[in-house]
Amino acid sequence: MRRFGFFRRLHQVVLVAVLTLGLLPNVQAQMSGNDLVDAALIAEPQSIRAGQPFWVGVRLRMAEHWHTYWRNPGDSGLATEISWALPEGFTAGPIVWPVPERIPVAHLVNYGYEGEILLLTQIMPPAVLPAGEMPLRADVNWLVCQKECIPGEATVDLALPGGSGEGDPANKAAFDTARQQVAQPSPWPADMQMADASFVLTVAAPGPNGGRIREAVFLPHQEAMIEHAAPQPLQITAEGLTLQMPRGSFAAAGLPQQTGGLLLIKEDIGGRLQQQAFEYPQIAYGTAPVAQPADWAAVLQAALLALVGGMLLNLMPCVFPVLSIKILALVSHSGQGRAQMRRHGLAYTFGILVSFAALAGLLLVLRATGAQIGWGFQLQMPLVIALLAYLLFAMGLSLSGVFHLGGSFAGIGDALTRRSGTQGSFFTGVLAAVVATPCTAPFMATAVGFALTQPAAIGIAIFLALGFGLALPFLVLTCVPQLADRLPRPGLWMERVKQALAFPLYATVAWLIWVLSQQVGQQGLLAAMLGLVLVAAAAWSFGLRGRVAMASAVVLLVAAAGALYGTARDPAAPAVAVAQPGGGSAESFSRQKLDTLVAQQKPVFVNMTAAWCITCMVNERTALSSDAVRAAFRARSITYMKGDWTNQDPEITRLLEQNGRSGVPLYLYYAGGRSIVLPQILTPAIVLEHLAQLDRPQNSASLPNPTINTQR
Amino acid sequence: MISRRILLSAAAIGTIGLLTAPQLVSANSGVQIGQAAPAFTAKDTNGKTVSLADLKGKTVVLEWSNHDCPFVKKHYTGNNMQALQKKWTGQNVVWLTIVSSPVGEQGHVDAAQANKLTTDRGAAPSAVLLDPKSQIARAYGATVTPHMYVIDKTGKLAYAGGIDDKPSTRVDDLKGARNFVDSALTELAQGKAVSTTTARPYGCTVKYAPPSA
Repeated sequence: MRRFGFFRRLHQVVLVAVLTLGLLPNVQAQMSGNDLVDAALIAEPQSIRAGQPFWVGVRLRMAEHWHTYWRNPGDSGLATEISWALPEGFTAGPIVWPVPERIPVAHLVNYGYEGEILLLTQIMPPAVLPAGEMPLRADVNWLVCQKECIPGEATVDLALPGGSGEGDPANKAAFDTARQQVAQPSPWPADMQMADASFVLTVAAPGPNGGRIREAVFLPHQEAMIEHAAPQPLQITAEGLTLQMPRGSFAAAGLPQQTGGLLLIKEDIGGRLQQQAFEYPQIAYGTAPVAQPADWAAVLQAALLALVGGMLLNLMPCVFPVLSIKILALVSHSGQGRAQMRRHGLAYTFGILVSFAALAGLLLVLRATGAQIGWGFQLQMPLVIALLAYLLFAMGLSLSGVFHLGGSFAGIGDALTRRSGTQGSFFTGVLAAVVATPCTAPFMATAVGFALTQPAAIGIAIFLALGFGLALPFLVLTCVPQLADRLPRPGLWMERVKQALAFPLYATVAWLIWVLSQQVGQQGLLAAMLGLVLVAAAAWSFGLRGRVAMASAVVLLVAAAGALYGTARDPAAPAVAVAQPGGGSAESFSRQKLDTLVAQQKPVFVNMTAAWCITCMVNERTALSSDAVRAAFRARSITYMKGDWTNQDPEITRLLEQNGRSGVPLYLYYAGGRSIVLPQILTPAIVLEHLAQLDRPQNSASLPNPTINTQR
Repeated sequence: MISRRILLSAAAIGTIGLLTAPQLVSANSGVQIGQAAPAFTAKDTNGKTVSLADLKGKTVVLEWSNHDCPFVKKHYTGNNMQALQKKWTGQNVVWLTIVSSPVGEQGHVDAAQANKLTTDRGAAPSAVLLDPKSQIARAYGATVTPHMYVIDKTGKLAYAGGIDDKPSTRVDDLKGARNFVDSALTELAQGKAVSTTTARPYGCTVKYAPPSA
């Protein structure tokens, strides 16, 4: 027996040697696709429940270095096909494809899979099931390639009884893994512009701000649509990202039949590139307007829009009082010379234009130096908001009659009668522009957004059109005497109107304080409101008109400035970021709270995130917000804390550094005096597993886990 | 009101377009329908020199082939390719089968092997051209076997793409498939414009020779 065994082994060795040495080039030619791919059908549930859809998967195991193809195989190859033979009344959905790899072949590219994949398909059973076991059968056809390509096919089947539809534990891991390999639905809208030689995909992903996106590539569902191997130049702006894709040489004319695709983004996570995949089942297509930076039609259109918008601004609560006061001044001096009136109108216009040009210039310069800011950036600074609130409040108080501002300030009173009154009008223009800015941002988004994408000169021209629109009503009034003549005679009504106009200003102040409340902490908000009281006191004191009163007014104003400092020093506890919390409600992170809870040995889960971190967002959506994780959080009464690192926060930075990280995401779990760092890529299973690790008593853990730290 | 996104995209296209124009040209290095087909000269399997320039006045078909590729096999096993070759060479069309696989790659054949294949398969091309340095394939941007091109009598490219609309390796799929080469040749013979000038090329990747100096 032993001898026989020896010879048999020898025989095998010789056979293998012959095959390897002599026949190697031919081995592949003789192989069939079935030797290279092992196909099987598995189901997620153990049984079928009537009317309840369930998942099955065709598992393909490829021989090493061989690949099968995605729905769009790329420059060559063929997508795997599954055709189903199901019992009466059953229907199968489309294949839910895992995210493919880009496989370069010479100067071409294929999209496909090496290793093992599970092609998920949802099966819908009928409301009434047939008796006995139900056979599910699929004919699977594939093309498997390394360099050479070999077609293969298999019929795979399984049978399931009717029942509760409960999951099959044996297949759970396979389905969990498969779902991880499927792309997420994209959270950002996208559209595709079609030009002669290329497609331009615009993804409105303002959050990431290009934060750490290093690469992005689009894989269209439609075959031959683009040159698959060509680089796709990526542009990241504050609005999102654009990818340009050269049209395929063999693309059919017109729109592709399938307009969806996959967006693959590589994000830098602590020096390592992490890929995220987002699925677009369909993308809206448009034909790209023939747009050059100097497309005058578009520029003119934007300028017109800006002009009309500027005119509308006059009706906004922040601007309306200013304009009205100006008109009232006009009314009270309607007797004066036409020429002088016109001068006032022009000075006012000039004041507005200078201010808008200055603001736009500043914005463009800042952007050119790389700051990712948009129009309204000034309103992101609490100091500016508080100052505007003070200013508008003081103006309101003045209108209410608390004090009287003479001369140049708001142009009330006798400024117009004086020769130097034009100066006053100029500054009223400046004031109008300044108080208009809080209203500009929300209403002028379109024109301003366009302006910012344009060369500086055009950008500034659009801003000027906006300013000119703002100035226009008053300018027209001063330049067309017939209109000015129509204004009502001066009288007591003017005083009443003036007083009434204080209220839109107060309303604007209220709004600004609300804005402020989102930007600063409670202390800062209190300081700002005390500042308002001080401004009011200063105004009252100023109105008393006496040396002592003046001095106290100045002191009070200095105190108000001190309050401003207090406001600026207390930035808000960071707002809770984009996606909503996983386990019930998330608390915002504070070191103190964390230390307290940890000291009390209460379980805490810390999630350090940032609005621009795509991986963080995906983790929250797929893992932390999953029902399983939420339930696990609830079951353990875990406090879920979330820290937002969107703006650098020294407290969070310290915690990151303590855990050897230079950036987000960071996930920490504290329980029973121990803590654990979770990986940067989460799945529900990973989270649950880590939570469970700390459930075990410390001593019984036979293998110490290196990532568990004991709290000191 | 103009949508903001359109404006943004417009601006983006404008700027990116300018930046990447040179890349576009190289990406589409292949050929364009309606333009002159790239000139080439090659030896056929009988030692004769074939030059596209000499074929002006005749309609020319280029068929990229790799006899071991399952997609090519489908069209020969099903007698589809041979039938097309016979039908059109009989109507004064020049049919050139091109083999671009270099030595050591799948599909590579020498002249004798190529001629034997032609006999064994009952094929009827006007000539089989050997392109082991993949130069003609590169000039035409051929990506797959079988990749098909039709050049009209004036030397302009009339069709480029897949042979039909059933991308598969199943012989059964030949039935009911719309053959784009046949319809392009039919339209050209009738003096009409070709209605479908391109379709997705399907098949095995052309086994390109490494670019040589």
